[in-house]
Amino acid sequence: MKKEISFTLNGSEVTVTIDEHLCLIDILRGPLGQTGTNEGCREGECGACTVIVDGQAVNSCLYPAFEVEGKNVITIEGLQEPNNKLSVFQQAFVDHGAIQCGFCTPGMIMSAKALLDTNQNPTEDEIRDALLGNLCRCTGYVQIVEAVKQAAVQLKNKK
Amino acid sequence: MKRFNYYKPRSLDEAWELKEKIPDALFIAGGTDILVGIKNGELYPPALISLRSIPELNSIKINGGAHIGALTTISDLIHHPALYNIYPVLVEAAKRLGSVQIRNVATIGGNLCNCSPCADMALPLLVLDAKVRLQTAKKNREIPIDEFFKGPGETNLTPNEILTGIVLESPRKSAKAIFLKKGRVRMDLAIASLAALMEMEGEKCQKARLAAGSVAPVPLRLFKVEAQLEGTTITDKLVAEAQQLAAESVAPITDIRATKEYRRQIVSVLVKRALKNILGWSQA
Ligand SMILES: Cc1cc2nc3c(=O)[nH]c(=O)nc-3n(C[C@H](O)[C@H](O)[C@H](O)COP(=O)(O)OP(=O)(O)OC[C@H]3O[C@@H](n4cnc5c(N)ncnc54)[C@H](O)[C@@H]3O)c2cc1C
Ligand code: FES
Ligand code: FES
Repeated sequence: MKKEISFTLNGSEVTVTIDEHLCLIDILRGPLGQTGTNEGCREGECGACTVIVDGQAVNSCLYPAFEVEGKNVITIEGLQEPNNKLSVFQQAFVDHGAIQCGFCTPGMIMSAKALLDTNQNPTEDEIRDALLGNLCRCTGYVQIVEAVKQAAVQLKNKK
Repeated sequence: MKRFNYYKPRSLDEAWELKEKIPDALFIAGGTDILVGIKNGELYPPALISLRSIPELNSIKINGGAHIGALTTISDLIHHPALYNIYPVLVEAAKRLGSVQIRNVATIGGNLCNCSPCADMALPLLVLDAKVRLQTAKKNREIPIDEFFKGPGETNLTPNEILTGIVLESPRKSAKAIFLKKGRVRMDLAIASLAALMEMEGEKCQKARLAAGSVAPVPLRLFKVEAQLEGTTITDKLVAEAQQLAAESVAPITDIRATKEYRRQIVSVLVKRALKNILGWSQA
């Protein structure tokens, strides 16, 4: 059956008609055309599909689309800065070589953002725990952890 | 993936009504087990009945003991301001379940109802002598958690029954407990896991509870080991005997994560570490 749902996506109200059995990632990448969120495993293991729902990082591949009704969803597109400027996270990932193929990056950044939104001074252990559900087949993780540390410092200085 | 209808009842009564109307429908909580099952083609329900919008399933009440609503997420357990002080072993186990993304949606009730031998939350609840509250429109019962697990994926729930909450008594001051999990990497299902609790009076063990995961068809209370420890003064020799008895009490299988021989070995090592840690003889 099809149903209409409304929710906030990256600050704007959206209304979309969905098939009830779909997951959030299916409607993001499908009818909403937001393809920044990647799909790797489709079963919760890889974290490529991570988005933030009501402040919490979740796997959009295991999040029933119907459950986002009335909620606040942030995807990687929501971190875009005006005038093609790189965001704090983008710059940090570039500076540390934390991107190679880039497939895991949107998910990594959403997990990191969810952490830094609630914890301004994370320890390395806390960063690693927050990224545990995000696999990267290229970088080896050290660069990613370093990038998140830099982003933490810069975001704090910005405030 | 097969299509299904998705219902979001606002009350338990509405959920039971839907289930009566569509008997093959399945309940969904966080969905981290059931959606994987559907995507893999192992389950094909005509409809899912979501329990997420039923407010009464979503709370933690502390009142001498505790009542934990079945839909409480693993993250809510970790971040609750009072729970860690009273039941540290429960929160330690919660911290080892899956990833942040999984913990933010996975529920404690779903973990029990899915009834996997490796269910991390089952073990602390077993050693805390938790009770589970099971309800249908007509009937309301409360049973000890070790009677809830029947086999892999098979619980004591009747078809229309909903696990509404978990009831815990407040532990004795003298009780100390620990949760240990051995996985291949940090985010993985357990190769073997163990929760242990002991109440000591001086050198004497008044009460012992041990439960092991991933080493039997269900999360398993180690009754024989408990009986052997209770009422005794614990010595190195007794710990070694407990290890032996634990290894004999489990019935592991070989699968992609480990062989049955290795699992038996690990259970023995976890028993040693847990007991010595509780007794303050060593760090786990
Ligand atoms: C990547 C990944 C990693 C994981 N890691 C771990 C891990 O380390 N340790 C671990 O133990 N598990 C792990 N799991 C499994 C899973 O996340 C947990 O078992 C989780 O707690 C299930 O809860 P849920 O709310 O998502 O259940 P759901 O998938 O919603 O439901 C599971 C089952 O229980 C039934 N059900 C749910 N709630 C109720 C209720 N209140 N009353 C009656 N029936 C109900 C459903 O019908 C279904 O059959 C992992 C899963 C994934 C995908
Ligand atoms: S695609 Fe969602 S976790 Fe892999
Ligand atoms: S950069 Fe390629 S998977 Fe992470």
